[in-house]
Amino acid sequence: MVAIETKDLTKKFKDKVAVNKIDLNINQGELFALLGTNGAGKTTTIKMLSGLILPTSGSINILSMDMKKDVFKIKEILNVSPQETAIAPNLTVKENLEFMAGVYQIDNKDKKINELIKVFKLDEVLNKRAKTLSGGWQRKVSIAISLINDPKILFLDEPTLGLDVIARKELWKVIEGLKGKITIILTTHYMEEAEKLSDRIGIMANGNIIEVGTAKELVKKTNAKNFEDAFVTIATGGEL
Amino acid sequence: MRMLNFAKRNFKELIRDPLSLIFEIALPIFLLFIFQQIKIPGDTYKLENFTPGIIIFGFSFISLFTSTLVAKDRGSSLLIRLGTSPMKSSDYILGYILSLIPIIIIQDVLFFIVACLLGLNVSINILFTILISIIVSILFIALGILIGSLVSEKGSGGVGSIIVQLVCFTSGMYFSKDLIGKVFAKVCELLPFESTLNIIKGILNNNYDIISARNIIVFSVYTIVVLVISIIVFKKKMISDNK
Repeated sequence: MVAIETKDLTKKFKDKVAVNKIDLNINQGELFALLGTNGAGKTTTIKMLSGLILPTSGSINILSMDMKKDVFKIKEILNVSPQETAIAPNLTVKENLEFMAGVYQIDNKDKKINELIKVFKLDEVLNKRAKTLSGGWQRKVSIAISLINDPKILFLDEPTLGLDVIARKELWKVIEGLKGKITIILTTHYMEEAEKLSDRIGIMANGNIIEVGTAKELVKKTNAKNFEDAFVTIATGGEL
Repeated sequence: MRMLNFAKRNFKELIRDPLSLIFEIALPIFLLFIFQQIKIPGDTYKLENFTPGIIIFGFSFISLFTSTLVAKDRGSSLLIRLGTSPMKSSDYILGYILSLIPIIIIQDVLFFIVACLLGLNVSINILFTILISIIVSILFIALGILIGSLVSEKGSGGVGSIIVQLVCFTSGMYFSKDLIGKVFAKVCELLPFESTLNIIKGILNNNYDIISARNIIVFSVYTIVVLVISIIVFKKKMISDNK
């Protein structure tokens, strides 16, 4: 079943076209990586798909619901881990989890919070205020929070940006554990991350999706040595 | 209730900021105490007149710290996360307002305890004043939301302090508006702070004659207009910030 479907999805900021008539089909349980250079339109696309900003034109269907008509129903079943760490600074880690459980009106919130504490190994920082945590811990908490409502669709916008190798690998393990259960849309600048984690990859340039396929398909198509070279060839139109 | 959940979070954020407690509670109490020790002649500094001034002065810091909280939220990714949640605009605005009501009550109670210790008559009017001041505080909270929606976290401190200065100079808490001249008096009448002070002063002293129809109209119009504008601007900025 298709989890996300867009038709002619467009976003313009005055005269600048940030996203240009993109058609996307992402299946349920799929991990879809959205790659592109800076300013390619990835974050704008995610913001539209998550209901944060309105498209200029085109349509978005999430699990057969129309974004225009059912935006609040859709918002119940998705979650986002934004590019920057999104936590309340003066609240402890536990209070952050409780706060977001309240935002989504989670019925069995203690059970869910304990589950996330276990999965993300948050015990040692549970009673610390979020602002006192290291960048790695803050990112971990931010991603844990994005799972508070058991989302059917999860947007991870550069989730491992700025993390050290160990923290990154730990997070990959968590993301791999979610594969198949949740539809995940991931943006990243790390080619290795996209190649390792994703089922399919969409490459954006100048607001357009210019190529979609598995990492292997994209490497084969460009006759590149590896995925990074394939990405560079596609994103630059073979100029580099 | 999402708005109560958001209010609880906002309350914790505010109460855990030591600067906000110093300016919202400690500084007004210090001024209340110190001005009673100086024994300045005239009615302005009598406890029954100066305590309402201190309440309004405390509210001006509520505006300042509300604006900082809203601006800080806007500047962080937290509002992006909340923007993708099922929270509605009304949840945000009411969440901000409700989180400040306990602080308003704490302020009022502490101000009156100190004022009574300094010699203010204990009467039922104190309770009525606290209740009315909660309504008056909505104007100051809305001003804070509006400022916080328009400027950055850094800017909110500067713009918020203008409210503090306007309260000091135009409310009549330190001196009568007529002392400076007709133009200044007119400005005081057109701004809402003199009206808010007169309303609170009238209730505390059981002297409803000092609350003019103009005071009620100016306060009501400002509160409604600022509240409506703050909701519209907050909603618009929340979308435009995420572009």
